[in-house]
Amino acid sequence: MTEAVVETFSENDLDTLVSIAIRRAEVLEDVSSPNAQEAWLEVLAYEERLAAITAASNIAGGIARAGAVHAALAAGRREEAERLAQNYLSDPSLPAERRMAIERAFEEDNTRLAAHFPALAKSGRLGEVQAWRREVAKSASVFPRAA
Amino acid sequence: MNLALHELLNVHVALRGHPIDYPRSGGLALARAGHSSPVDAVTEHDGHPGRASIEWRSHDSAILGAVDEHRLTEDGAEAVALAYTHAVGRWLVKRRLRRGEYADWLLQTDGQSLALEISGTMTDDGRGRLKEKKEQVTRCTLPASRMAVVVAFVQPMILAGTV
Repeated sequence: MTEAVVETFSENDLDTLVSIAIRRAEVLEDVSSPNAQEAWLEVLAYEERLAAITAASNIAGGIARAGAVHAALAAGRREEAERLAQNYLSDPSLPAERRMAIERAFEEDNTRLAAHFPALAKSGRLGEVQAWRREVAKSASVFPRAA
Repeated sequence: MNLALHELLNVHVALRGHPIDYPRSGGLALARAGHSSPVDAVTEHDGHPGRASIEWRSHDSAILGAVDEHRLTEDGAEAVALAYTHAVGRWLVKRRLRRGEYADWLLQTDGQSLALEISGTMTDDGRGRLKEKKEQVTRCTLPASRMAVVVAFVQPMILAGTV
């Protein structure tokens, strides 16, 4: 789905679409499906759009912002997650609780990576995994689902 | 209290378009537990006892052989719990929450928000499950009321607790 199409959806439409997409991504993640990352990209598209059309101080806007950061991380797009987090955290109206939720999303991603790569985590080399995932994400047509 | 599962999509319009047919899942989960519509359920909300009549439209039970039992229990519990929360507080589905928020759904009514955690069980101890789910939703940091609902199917029961 293109960005232009997503922009035509109302908040209610996006709420329904993101609900369906989250459920799908979590089910795929549960069975370690290689399609889980792609499913999180769909979640990311809806959460980002919801974040764009809702106020940071609003509960729905706060959920969307933390959700977009989490979805980017779950999709293996750490750079994008960092960019989004920087953008959202620069808004002074974002509640402290949502700031912590965004920070928690990064901690959860580190925990998840450490569980997948225990030896690298033990030797403090998870950064290498993140660098590798960044490279893979740039080369979408080469081993697109490896990261 | 009457919980008409076949009316669920008229109540929670945000559920329309979902690939999961919640009304059917609720009915099938109850049918799998040996019930036919309507069935009486015991309710317990923050320790206060009550009763509910759960109604659903019959579906071809042959499909029960083809569905994931765990998934059906969870989807069926969501159907019953969403009908229940609307009946007790006029809450309406806003959106699903990801796991990291420690609740399944965000519901709203009159400018108020509710983070709702739902669990279903066929035979397990519902009260023990409710305790676990209340502990889980306690971790939800959203500026919302928080509630856990456990739906038991074999001996129909709706256990709800606010935190």
